[in-house]
Amino acid sequence: MVKPMNGLPRLSWGKLLIHLCLGVVSLVFLTPFVYVFLNSFKTTEEIYWVPQSFLPKQWILDNYLQIGEKGHFGDYFLNSVIITCTAVFLVMVISSLAGYAFARLPFKGRQLLLGFILMTITIPLVVFLIPMFLMENAAGLLNTNLGLILPNVAVVLPFAIFIMRSSFVGIPKEIEEAAEMDGCGVFMTWWRIMLPMAKNGLITVLIMSFNAIWGEYAIAKTLATDQSSMPLSVGLTLMKGEVWDFGTLAAVIVLSMLPPIIIFIIFQKRLVEGITQGAVKG
Amino acid sequence: MSSLQNSRKKIAGFLFVTPALLFIFSFMLYPLINSLYMSVHKYNFVYDKEPKFVGLGNYITAFSDKDFLVALGNTFTFAFFYVVFVMVISLILALLIFQKIRFNYYYRTAIFIPIVVPLSLSALAFMWILQENYGLLNHLLGNVLGLKSLTFPWLNNGTTAMGSIIGVALWATIGFETILFLGGLQAIPQDILEAAEVDGASGLKKVFYIILPNLKETYILTGIWALLHGVKVFIEPMVMTSGGPGVSTLVLYQHIYHTAFTYFDMGYASAMAYILGAIALLFSAANYWVNRTKEA
Repeated sequence: MVKPMNGLPRLSWGKLLIHLCLGVVSLVFLTPFVYVFLNSFKTTEEIYWVPQSFLPKQWILDNYLQIGEKGHFGDYFLNSVIITCTAVFLVMVISSLAGYAFARLPFKGRQLLLGFILMTITIPLVVFLIPMFLMENAAGLLNTNLGLILPNVAVVLPFAIFIMRSSFVGIPKEIEEAAEMDGCGVFMTWWRIMLPMAKNGLITVLIMSFNAIWGEYAIAKTLATDQSSMPLSVGLTLMKGEVWDFGTLAAVIVLSMLPPIIIFIIFQKRLVEGITQGAVKG
Repeated sequence: MSSLQNSRKKIAGFLFVTPALLFIFSFMLYPLINSLYMSVHKYNFVYDKEPKFVGLGNYITAFSDKDFLVALGNTFTFAFFYVVFVMVISLILALLIFQKIRFNYYYRTAIFIPIVVPLSLSALAFMWILQENYGLLNHLLGNVLGLKSLTFPWLNNGTTAMGSIIGVALWATIGFETILFLGGLQAIPQDILEAAEVDGASGLKKVFYIILPNLKETYILTGIWALLHGVKVFIEPMVMTSGGPGVSTLVLYQHIYHTAFTYFDMGYASAMAYILGAIALLFSAANYWVNRTKEA
């Protein structure tokens, strides 16, 4: 089955069938993206045409140019960017500290804590939502960016800690011991020696937490009820069903899907590794 | 290593986990305990000043609440079909992608991309595709393929709405499960595959007699993941159907959400959330148990 190809591959019927299957499947998977992308260059009237024009009759950029002027699109974008960037940064710092402790620094109750963190991954988020709402209501954090950053960090952390822990576990102990001999303190050993060696884990955490928080829905739906405080993942869904400016909506959806897609194309290998690792542990 | 260094490490260890603990305790452990407390109280966020203790009342109410039972049934219906389809399709795709063929990278990319985009926005895109009059699906079925009898108002009919939601969930997660299956395939020792070839097993024979029986652990891993994902379904029905038409796509997660944040009946909603949590924990405990027996 797995034979190295040299020169032109022989095209057998079996292979042709495989190409046919995968080709059709790929098409099905890509269709929603292509469809929204094409719609974003049509006038809203054309989107409603029956029968529809698959390709725009005339490619227009108005939908993109009008984003800033219409509705709350600007707010949604800004909120998503602020919340995601801050939360991802916090997740990276906190998980690389905690992951190192769980891998290399023995402290009291370490196993118990690790077990608890492991368990939280399987608990449905909805169990946490009501207390989160009541807490943030009492603290005045509802409808604020900070109010979405904090729970997002907490929810992504367990997974990030596991990834970081296993990348630190994989580094040979001798390297650390050598650093200690040279008089490096624990913090300096972590910062100067260990963290650079756990770079791959850190990139995985970056990608996975970016995707998770950029697309997060349930927390934002619960804790941000004012349109001006919503991120994209929630704000855009309010337009559903209403007779609205579908062209602009399509343009915003395209722009919101672009960052995770670009990151995915650059770091596909890391993401695949992260999923495999995370599923085995969680 | 000196004992001074050891004790310094212990203190450092504690300092290193403290920020993580602050987050996990305040946004996970505390909420976990708080919602257990709420689940044995009657508390309407708008009308009640104080939670009133009702013992197991909320839990008992749930099992005589028609909507809860409908939502529970819908959740299991969704989970059942979702798990079966996601596993079969992902396994087939993983077997196909595992062949070292041309364009492999492009096929992979197409299948994996839905994992990374915001699900609520994919659901929006699918609402357009599934729309009765100007949607792409009916256009393709009716006008391109000439199958007018297969066109439906997809989201306005109970059965097709559930089918659509399952379809979108499959689209969004098949890539994820395919990655897990590929991991399983890569873990099969190369010598087993080579020995099979020496014995003259090739093509489908090799798949059925050698590869599939060697994926036992992967079936468990993917099965549990899919089950957990299935019982936690929320975004697809929330965005695409709001549980409708009627209550035909109302799932448990959504029913809890509405009870808590539309009707503000937070005590009762907490009890239902705990029931959902118990279902999820049961499945993951099974996972843990299977892994344990495997290692022992």
